[in-house]
Amino acid sequence: MLTQMNVRGLLFDPYNNAYIVVLRDEHRSDVLPIWVGKSEASAIGFALENISPPRPTTHDLMKSMLDNVDAKILSAVVTDLKDNTYYAKIHLWYGDSEYSVDARPSDAIALALRAEAPIFTAETVLRKQRSEELERWLETVKPEDFGKLDT
Amino acid sequence: MSVGQNTDLILLKVLGVTDDPNTDTQIVILQDEANADILPIWMGPAEGTAIRYALEDAVLPRPTSHDLMASLLTHLGITMTHVVVTNVQDNTYYAMIYLCSNERERTVDARPSDAIALALRAKCPIYVTQDVLNNGGRANVSTWLAKLGPQARGQTETQDDSPKTSQQTED
Repeated sequence: MLTQMNVRGLLFDPYNNAYIVVLRDEHRSDVLPIWVGKSEASAIGFALENISPPRPTTHDLMKSMLDNVDAKILSAVVTDLKDNTYYAKIHLWYGDSEYSVDARPSDAIALALRAEAPIFTAETVLRKQRSEELERWLETVKPEDFGKLDT
Repeated sequence: MSVGQNTDLILLKVLGVTDDPNTDTQIVILQDEANADILPIWMGPAEGTAIRYALEDAVLPRPTSHDLMASLLTHLGITMTHVVVTNVQDNTYYAMIYLCSNERERTVDARPSDAIALALRAKCPIYVTQDVLNNGGRANVSTWLAKLGPQARGQTETQDDSPKTSQQTED
């Protein structure tokens, strides 16, 4: 089962010198924080703020290559959480077939935002994440408690 | 000499990526096949790393953005035939990626860093026009070498108090 998520925003995590992409479901009951690196965060930040730099960024290029060949991004799905690493898939429509391609969630989200395609999370990911140490993480802030990096 | 444009394509190889000791940027060094000309292109650290990984054939546990791009093309059966560094204007380099899908050629505007990072992954040739090589290459190397004082070599914490001379970057 899939839950549609919105990108709530980006936070800076000073302990790890990393960024957190915060996804939230439509009913605002589930939050999924995903740790990403600086360049991944700025790829998402540009899309959130509709900034177009003078030259295409890597994700702008990705989008324009897909546009160029008439491939359409259908959705991005965060599919799994294993050993503190999130996994995602990008679903595309090209020719007359559907394709799905393995990606890091940061790339999938950066691309979905540019294509105005929906972002989903598998129910299992939300459940795993809920059961993991998010609460504890907030109370006992130790560096090793961080680190759901998707890199 | 200055009349007309020379858009002949020169094949380039990527010699390597190096840190620019004067700034926190990186320089990708391209060289023509005859080893006569060098084309250095300045780029950000993330872009430099993307090229470094490709040169080292590094396989990371999860796909990088450029790995993803290459895998998107492979999945959709799109071939990248070649990339060309087409222009340099106001210290910015421009590149073009040539794709072939359903026997139709398509071109996509890109930064050279992305074009090179992708070309290395797709194992397709990298070209530069003769004009860009003439304009960008030689002048640029001299500027860069002039800035490279002996004390700058191999040190990580050099102080850069000299005024920045113009350099050609793509960002």
